[in-house]
Amino acid sequence: MKVQLTTRIWNVARNALILATTFAVVVMILPSQARSQLGLDPCCAIISVGLSTISNLLKSAVAAPLGNIQQSAQHNVNFEQQVVFPIAAINQARAFAVQAQTQFAQMRQISQLSVASATLPASQQLEGTLLSANPNNVAQVSNSYTAFYGQVMPATDAPQAVRDFVDMTDAEAQAAMKKALEIDAVANLELQAAEQINQQLQTAAPGSAAILEAQTSAWVVRANAYTQSAMAELVRVRSVELADQGARMKFSTAHTNTLQTNGSQVLQQGVH
Amino acid sequence: MKERTVDLFRNLQRCLRTRKRWLPVVIVALCLIPSTARAAGLGDIISLLKTITSTIQGAIAGQLNEIQNLQSLLNRFRQQTIWPLIAINQAKAFVNSTRGQYGHLMFGIVTIRNNSATLVPPSQLESLFRSGQSGFIGQVQPAYSSVYGVVPSATSAQPQQRNMMDMDDALAMGSLKATVLSDQMTEGVLALADSIEQHSANAAPGSGPMLSTQAQVAELETQALMAKVLAAELRAEAAKLAHQNTLLKQSSAATRNLQNQMMQVLSHP
Repeated sequence: MKVQLTTRIWNVARNALILATTFAVVVMILPSQARSQLGLDPCCAIISVGLSTISNLLKSAVAAPLGNIQQSAQHNVNFEQQVVFPIAAINQARAFAVQAQTQFAQMRQISQLSVASATLPASQQLEGTLLSANPNNVAQVSNSYTAFYGQVMPATDAPQAVRDFVDMTDAEAQAAMKKALEIDAVANLELQAAEQINQQLQTAAPGSAAILEAQTSAWVVRANAYTQSAMAELVRVRSVELADQGARMKFSTAHTNTLQTNGSQVLQQGVH
Repeated sequence: MKERTVDLFRNLQRCLRTRKRWLPVVIVALCLIPSTARAAGLGDIISLLKTITSTIQGAIAGQLNEIQNLQSLLNRFRQQTIWPLIAINQAKAFVNSTRGQYGHLMFGIVTIRNNSATLVPPSQLESLFRSGQSGFIGQVQPAYSSVYGVVPSATSAQPQQRNMMDMDDALAMGSLKATVLSDQMTEGVLALADSIEQHSANAAPGSGPMLSTQAQVAELETQALMAKVLAAELRAEAAKLAHQNTLLKQSSAATRNLQNQMMQVLSHP
């Protein structure tokens, strides 16, 4: 009986010991300062006030300026869409480019109309070369020119001075014809390029138009340079023409002096 | 003693088997323990909230205000300095005003007729090459011939002289025809320039560069057409030079022939 009692007491004590040990272990493992782990804590009110303050702050200090920024951006977008880049004006400019394309094409067709007018075979051949606007024909100009206008007279036919300026004049006349042929070819290319750029302009945007404008400006500068080059050739032709007239007058004067001298000599011989 | 120890272990095993209900309690308790919970005290939370508040008030709100100011500044700069609506409207009005001011004057000058011939054939020729109508260039040749004559027949002139006369006529006529075409294209370019100006009166700053490019393209066309006229002038000048030179060559050849003939005459008693 006593043993049974002792055993029961031992069992109860043992169970209590196990429970106490388990609780002690759990308590020891728990973080010493954790709060509200399993329920409400007094500091919740403080956190709530803090979060409410943050929320109000976000509304006043963040949301309000962001709203203003959005409003300002919207205003800016409206201004750009209605005043700076209105789609109607952009489309109108594109439509105008389409309309101008027709005019450019007409001008190109007019510029390509034949102005050939020679009637005899020899002159038709030379004229054909000169009006061909084909830079590959430049090499033929000298031969065609010599065949048509003749070459420098032989040394037996004229003094060397005369032969020199005749050759110079022929050279300049040929050069001017070659330059005319080249300029015609360049002009045709410029007309083609202008039409291509205009075609591109029909689908351009205000932002890309500036690029096309720069390219066209470059073409215009180039065209000015070619025109300048042709003007220089024209000045050379006229200068050589002037020089040619001067040389003839000089030659004529010298020739007259020689004639006078020779005439005097003949007359003096006749007197004696 | 040994037996008692064995009994104790047996009892313990039995007890554990019968008291298994404690085990889930222990496991749940262990699971509820936050593994990384740290010492987040009330003071720390308040400090954290204060930091957040001061960050919102200081760094974020400050930056947002700066952005807002910049945005306003940029908008004001765009609307008052770069694209002020008043200036845009003023420019459009200016375009319309100058069109009205100069349009009639320019048109009046351009349409002045410069025809000056008095006799019938020259008047016809002049009106043809001043017509600016490419459809008329086919009529230039007969009108030219009626004023300047035709190339003499093969029995009346040397072949080289005939060729030169024909070439001179051809290049002169070619240049005159080129001026007819050029005048017609000038009309087209002037119409285009007028359209560009008209469109610029209704343009926006954004479509302005497109019209400007259009004007540049038209300028390129004009340069090309000017080059063609210049080429015609070069040909005419070159032919004139070549003509004069050929006359000199023929003159020297004629002089040589004269000399030879005189020598022959003098050598025969």
